[in-house]
Amino acid sequence: MTRPPPTAALAGFVSCGTCGLLCRPAEAGKPGECPRCGEPLAFRLPESIERTWAYVVAAAVCYLPANLLPVMTTTTIKATTESTILSGVIHFYTTGSWFLALIVLVASVIIPLGKLGALAYLLVTVMRRSTGRPLERARLFRMLKAIGRWSMLDVFVVMFVVALVRFEPFMSVVPGPGVPFFAAVVILTILAADAFDPRLIWDPAGKTGGTGG
Amino acid sequence: MAEDSGLPNVPVPEAEIAPKRRLPISVVWFIPLLAALAGVGVAVQQYLAEGPAIQISFRSGEGVEAGKTTIKYKDIEIGQVTGVRLSEDYTRILVTAKMEKSVEKLLGSDAKFWIVKPRVTLSGISGIGTLLSGNFIRFEPGTSRVPGREFTGLETPPAVTQDLPGREYRLRADTLGSLGVGSPVYYRRLSVGQVISSALAPDGRSVEIRIFLNAPYDKFVSSGTRFWEASGVDVTAGVDGFTVQTESFLSLVIGGIAFETPPSLEGYHPVPDNAVFLLAADRTAALSPQEGEADPYALHFDEQLRGLSVGAPVNFMGLQVGEVTGIRLEFDPATESVGTRVDIVAFPYRFLRDMKKAGPYAKKELPPGKRRELMQRQVVGKGLRAQLRSGSLLSGQLYVALDYFPDAPQAMIDWSGKPPRFPTVPGETTVLRATLSSILAKIDNVPITEIGKETKEAIASLDRTLRLLEGETLPEAKKSFATLDRTLSRVDSEIVPEARKALEELRRASAAAERALKDADEMLLAPDAAGRQELLDALRETARAAQAVRLLADSLERNPSAVIRGRKPEKPR
Repeated sequence: MTRPPPTAALAGFVSCGTCGLLCRPAEAGKPGECPRCGEPLAFRLPESIERTWAYVVAAAVCYLPANLLPVMTTTTIKATTESTILSGVIHFYTTGSWFLALIVLVASVIIPLGKLGALAYLLVTVMRRSTGRPLERARLFRMLKAIGRWSMLDVFVVMFVVALVRFEPFMSVVPGPGVPFFAAVVILTILAADAFDPRLIWDPAGKTGGTGG
Repeated sequence: MAEDSGLPNVPVPEAEIAPKRRLPISVVWFIPLLAALAGVGVAVQQYLAEGPAIQISFRSGEGVEAGKTTIKYKDIEIGQVTGVRLSEDYTRILVTAKMEKSVEKLLGSDAKFWIVKPRVTLSGISGIGTLLSGNFIRFEPGTSRVPGREFTGLETPPAVTQDLPGREYRLRADTLGSLGVGSPVYYRRLSVGQVISSALAPDGRSVEIRIFLNAPYDKFVSSGTRFWEASGVDVTAGVDGFTVQTESFLSLVIGGIAFETPPSLEGYHPVPDNAVFLLAADRTAALSPQEGEADPYALHFDEQLRGLSVGAPVNFMGLQVGEVTGIRLEFDPATESVGTRVDIVAFPYRFLRDMKKAGPYAKKELPPGKRRELMQRQVVGKGLRAQLRSGSLLSGQLYVALDYFPDAPQAMIDWSGKPPRFPTVPGETTVLRATLSSILAKIDNVPITEIGKETKEAIASLDRTLRLLEGETLPEAKKSFATLDRTLSRVDSEIVPEARKALEELRRASAAAERALKDADEMLLAPDAAGRQELLDALRETARAAQAVRLLADSLERNPSAVIRGRKPEKPR
């Protein structure tokens, strides 16, 4: 068996997440606080899996109303129409703008769902201490982090439309109750990705007693 | 261990320990809990806000679109159409709609729904929003407390929306004219209502127009109110020039109805909702007495009917009270002869309206039996008869006159006939002709020849006498004078009364002729009129007879001795 690659935890050290100071943990179970900046120290992000799960579940809960509730209420002289994300997609598709439909579908439906699925996958594999394909999983995680900051696009679009389209009483657009839920999904998935400690992916490979949990 | 890890041998600071309180579960789980609570809260709110879904069936789904068409009540949106589809048997359109929660209580089983189509008329555009939003469905709550979820939509809007105070009336007209739904109803040129709907009467013989009068104007409608179509222009030529009357320019273009209660018919008899009125063509027709029912009668005349036509008026005191509806030959089995029969209709109310107003029949429709009785009383007691009269010497047209002939023999209306047979008297032309011929006959009867012969004899005898007188004795002369005396007395007793009688007849004939001429009043004499020719002939005959008599009288007056000596050319003395 090859030697496991050296890690701080393996060496019995812990580094401060804030100032980067490498310390000796006070006790094996309780690393204590950073002597320089006072940040609580941890070999791995504290309660990473539990917290990530919590965020994922919360995001999943919000995902349903985000898609079922209207995100935009358009009032014209003619009529008042409430559009959900999916009805917008269908509207774009039936009116011939399949490309726009695709964009909205991917950005607003598939990506949040994919993020939730990917996070769940990472969590399950980490919990099972799986050693398979750590590099791919790491890449997947990087992708999740990267996408995260762009996920508010829909919310921004709605806000822009609402702000711009105000020709009352002829036409006005009001954000629907789906918007906060959609924003919640985005925020919660970002938080989930933040709460996840990617080092956990590598721990099983190194067979160290990383105390991520 | 440091060597194992391959880290540089540097002093690594020791971490510190601060006491920490830990919860059995991570606080982070509050977040999904919160999310779940928010989700459930929204779901519950959505569910509670969810109004009832209903289904309405229409014959046609004109302009109804799922997701667009709204259901409105008092112009407020209370629901939206969620689906439109055909019924199973493809005969109707089934519209499903989601109603707002707040109107749930209004959705009784007798609630009404109808499609409001955008309407642009000259009188106004009904809601500019309607134009843009297309048709919508209007809702009118019912009175039923039983909740309903399936409704049958109305094809035409209900007459009155419940919240609009006013009354509905029905008008019967021959034609719809230029009236349409929404045409205004005027009262003293004030628009007080509108036409709600129009439909053919079930029997197809008239058009029924429903109007709605807004409160409080509905109270001006009473049993005496007359309605007329105010669509046209009423141009009247009078002594003061032309008068043009119209309700308004608008009614000229889109039609309209006006009503008024004639002062003579005022007195407030409220009428029930949906009372039926007749719609007259114009104001004049509306305000003229109403005809009511028409009574048919048959007339039998023993004279020429040439000049009488269907549609000829039946007059009473110069006013039309009916018209001739038929002229034909009729075989009378009793006498085995062919006679003529004239059918007329008379509007008894024109006679009897005032009778009805007074006495026991006031405020009541006169029953047919009573009407008969009154009519009979007129006919029998007062001598009301039908007579043919010449309406125009110009064209020889005849008309039927109802008039009183107190001297006429008693007669009854023969109610057994169908139609009842009305008694008649011979026409005036017939009377005139008969009088003239009797005069001529009497003139004929004057024994001119005998008078002449006897005069000649007398003259001869006188001649002889004179001759005798010249040479002979007086007794001869005496005898001769006696003869003259006899002759003169004969002239006295025969010729003079005869001539007087003839003159009298002539005067009466002239009077009759004058009457006949008076009947023709404003008519001018045309050379080709049949009646005129006959009359002229008669007059010429009369004139000739009169001339003969005058000549006779003249010559007798100027020269009484002509009786003795005969007519000789007068010699200057």
